[in-house]
Amino acid sequence: MPEPLEPLESYDEGRAIASTGAGGASDLGTAEAETLEKTPGGPEGTGAGKKPRSLWSDAWHDLRRNPVFIISALVILFLVVISIWPSLIASGDPLDCDLAKAQEGSQPGHPFGFNGQGCDVYTRVVYGARTSVTVGVCATLGVAILGGVLGGLAGFYGGTWDGILSRITDVFFAIPVVLGGLVLLSVVTSSTVWPVIGFMVLLGWPQISRIARGSVITAKQNDYVQAARALGASNSRMMLRHITPNAVAPVIVVATIALGTYIALEATLSYLGVGLKPPTVSWGIDISSASQYIRNAPHMLLWPAGALAVTVLAFIMLGDAVRDALDPKLR
Amino acid sequence: MLLEVRDLHVEFHTREGVAKAVNGVDYSVDAGETLAVLGESGSGKSVTAQAVMGILDIPPGRISGGEILFQGQDLLKLKEEERRKVRGAKMAMIFQDALSSLNPVISVGDQLGEMFRVHRGMSRKDSRAKAVELMDRVRIPAAKERVGQYPHQFSGGMRQRIMIAMALALEPELIIADEPTTALDVTVQAQVMELLAELQRELNMGLILITHDLGVVADVADKIAVMYAGKIVEQAPVHEIYKAPAHPYTRGLLDSIPRLDQKGQELYAIKGLPPNLLAIPPGCSFNPRCPLARDRCRTDVPPLYDVTESPVPRASACHFWKECLHG
Repeated sequence: MPEPLEPLESYDEGRAIASTGAGGASDLGTAEAETLEKTPGGPEGTGAGKKPRSLWSDAWHDLRRNPVFIISALVILFLVVISIWPSLIASGDPLDCDLAKAQEGSQPGHPFGFNGQGCDVYTRVVYGARTSVTVGVCATLGVAILGGVLGGLAGFYGGTWDGILSRITDVFFAIPVVLGGLVLLSVVTSSTVWPVIGFMVLLGWPQISRIARGSVITAKQNDYVQAARALGASNSRMMLRHITPNAVAPVIVVATIALGTYIALEATLSYLGVGLKPPTVSWGIDISSASQYIRNAPHMLLWPAGALAVTVLAFIMLGDAVRDALDPKLR
Repeated sequence: MLLEVRDLHVEFHTREGVAKAVNGVDYSVDAGETLAVLGESGSGKSVTAQAVMGILDIPPGRISGGEILFQGQDLLKLKEEERRKVRGAKMAMIFQDALSSLNPVISVGDQLGEMFRVHRGMSRKDSRAKAVELMDRVRIPAAKERVGQYPHQFSGGMRQRIMIAMALALEPELIIADEPTTALDVTVQAQVMELLAELQRELNMGLILITHDLGVVADVADKIAVMYAGKIVEQAPVHEIYKAPAHPYTRGLLDSIPRLDQKGQELYAIKGLPPNLLAIPPGCSFNPRCPLARDRCRTDVPPLYDVTESPVPRASACHFWKECLHG
């Protein structure tokens, strides 16, 4: 329990024990609770008098007070803004390079120095955000939608379709991501981000699908789904209203963490030379070309690598905060 | 007659074979009447109720025979879509564990209101007002303030009241309560049962009360059906069954209730275990545990004998019911 409800209550023995258990373990003190509750706004009236809130507004209420969320959201907001308008903070052109300045360190107007081609590292780090955010967000959306829908339906209906889908996910799981990338992406000549995103969705959906399937099966067995059915809810209503909100939290968490790993994977693939190709500006490409000069010019590697690390971390922390906020039992 | 179950058979197909969970159950409930269905775990009492509600998991379950007549209409012949409209509106169910039967991420007001939105197409605002009304009706204090709270913010008794409110929302004609008080404290049990009985009287509903608690039954039921291994072994008005059971299994159940005048003595327990539903013994399914069992019990399946001695009909599935009733 994150915060004690009311000081009076925690001194009451029965209720103090109850509040250490998982959500709503108030059965221990039920007898007292029954009588106490007769007075409006009794011991459990934490929400009494306030306006009733929905799950999402409750989650938002929690998130606004969570420093982890605030920091990661600000970082992500900043990333999104500069990936849409990079010229806001970088006046140069990432492709405007001067070989004479190759590998030079920090100097006025060029805080991060120059890379092996004599391009401004600061400008390239700023412009690289666009690629990373695009790849991360698009790949995650694709994976979450495809995997979530397929896995969710398989979990809900079970039977033959579930069997077929599960075997297909097994096949995809057997493909090593980097090796698959080397094979599949080496034949692609396009220099846009879309083949890379497509590849990530292709290999990434089984992971989400399996998690969605599992959590739908768990949620489906809950008594309240049976109860909803007994009170006349239709299949689609059960799926959308009773199962999805209770099954979506693991998917959100894994997807947000996966978003970070997709950004890292893009860098990996670009590093290996099969991901994005110049003239696209990407942290992965820059890390790749800088890695051979790590001893004489570490700044060429550290700035894009640092940006990558902060971005990945921000998304993972965001995923964590969102999960905590979406689970009313943790409240 | 409001509900008539006739010769209902339900089986489950499992890896080990076919489990015969319900083997020819007949019972009926009238408006305003309370039928208590009594039996151990695995006696088929809940499965019968699920079949009536139409919420059996099919597969592995299968209704292999019989009819379920609700207001004269065989529910088993209805299409799923038509069946769904009956559920909730005309018959509703109250489950044992109210905490797990309420959706943890939806506020109780929304869950109560959902009944009106699904079946009556009401707006969100109107359905919320209805939810407050319902919560008042089941005597939840400060309903207006608490309507937006989540199930875990309520105590066990209050949650069961919410479940009852949900079941009663559309004023159904039949309520099936599957062990509604088992998960509650004894003090709260009585309050909840009282509330249920009162609302039943008010709305003149039929009530099927599934329980293994003979104490709960005595106060509220009109008649009792005792189930064993998927069959009804005794059916009788509630007071007669307490006075003189006509089946050795019922006798065993009554004798297993601790009594004050037995202080210091060993409590009676029916010997043996309930039968494996994959291999129900031939003859009378209770014969391996029965103190009265004879050769005939191991070969002949006893029919439900009419053992009426007073104006109200009663029945027992024991070849030697006379012995049991009078001995």
